Amino acid sequence: MSIQKSSAITVGEVMLPLDRFPAIAEKTILKEALEEMGRSRLGIACIVDTEKKLLGIITDGDLRRKVLKVQKPFSALLVDDALDHAIRTPLTVGPLDTLVHAVSVMEQKQIWDLPVTNEHGTLVGLLHLHRAVQELLKLQR
Amino acid sequence: MQNKSIEVGYGSVAKVTIGDRRPLAFIGGPCAIEGRDHALKMAEAIGKICRRVGIAWIYKSCYDKDCRSSPDSFNGLGADDGLRVLADVRDNFGVPVVSDFSDPSWGPATGEVCDMVQVPAYLCRQTSILRAAALTKRPVHLKKGQFMSPWNMKNSVRKLEANGNNQILLTDRGTFFGYNMLVNDMTCFPIMARTGYPVCFDATHSVQLPTSMGNISGGQREFIPYLVRAAIACGVNALFMEVHDDPDNALSDANTVLDIQYLENILGQAKAVHEMRLGLLEKYGVDNVHPEK
Repeated sequence: MSIQKSSAITVGEVMLPLDRFPAIAEKTILKEALEEMGRSRLGIACIVDTEKKLLGIITDGDLRRKVLKVQKPFSALLVDDALDHAIRTPLTVGPLDTLVHAVSVMEQKQIWDLPVTNEHGTLVGLLHLHRAVQELLKLQR
Repeated sequence: MQNKSIEVGYGSVAKVTIGDRRPLAFIGGPCAIEGRDHALKMAEAIGKICRRVGIAWIYKSCYDKDCRSSPDSFNGLGADDGLRVLADVRDNFGVPVVSDFSDPSWGPATGEVCDMVQVPAYLCRQTSILRAAALTKRPVHLKKGQFMSPWNMKNSVRKLEANGNNQILLTDRGTFFGYNMLVNDMTCFPIMARTGYPVCFDATHSVQLPTSMGNISGGQREFIPYLVRAAIACGVNALFMEVHDDPDNALSDANTVLDIQYLENILGQAKAVHEMRLGLLEKYGVDNVHPEK
């Protein structure tokens, strides 16, 4: 793989656009968030306000840990606002960051997805590890 | 979390604000409107007591009791006559009024007269009623169904919000405990308050024994003061009680309405416990014992 080539690719070129992953409204309940995640076959949902500003994320792993910790009835958990169980200050990357940088962040933090936000904190996409690896493998061929 | 207040009252009536760290509000009156004279007499008597106690008050009485156990029971004056009586109560005493309604088509007329519209507990998840209530643009008094969990009331709240109404008061009136029996789960107040809306305790319906008398409901009125003190100490923003000057002959809910001779006693205690609760909030802050992880 050409190091020059791979370092030239930006996150913006590889990220999933907004309609390809769950970018859910502030008042979405956990049950609906889980359904959205299932539909998109991703382990993350990004919670945004009406201006698409990123408010938090929930991920499969966080929910696994939550299910073992929360003592309330499951029916009560499912009707909670997803935002109540979200990570409010998630790691993000910018669309102009290099793919190599983003993948190294994912490797370092052991995560599969990175929300992509612009300079105003507005959600513009999602970088999914599979997609990133695909792009990097393409360069190797 | 409880950060919203609602204001009840349009036009020239006294405005009643219900919400976090506000004085306790009282919602009360005869269960059913029995007639103009009786309604005005009750309004005058309850108003005097509320002024003596120093508590803000919303007059409650319904024009159509659509959930009576027996087909032979009195079910009210009907919308036209009943709403006229409520308008007279407003005009004569400057008090905001509330009535429930059981058919979506009655929503606009109810909202035109009443300062607050009430969704009956049995209908608390009916989308058509909730939509009609929301569209009145009046504050909505939403009672938790006896069959509902407090967290599932959020679905009903969302139906109101989806129709543009975010002036909501959530009330507990007891939860079915087997057949013909209700209990009060005090955790329902903090749970329902997580919606962000104020919460209320309905003391008189909580002592009801639903349809325990075969074709009418029974009740254990002697427990009203105990439950009032407990609910208000737990933390509510309003107290709801049906009141009558002759409970034995009341045309609706005779076994649960509070005899007006005890109203001042109960309201006085309720106000005192609420003020103590506000003092505890000042001293110790909001409850944050074992915050949810």
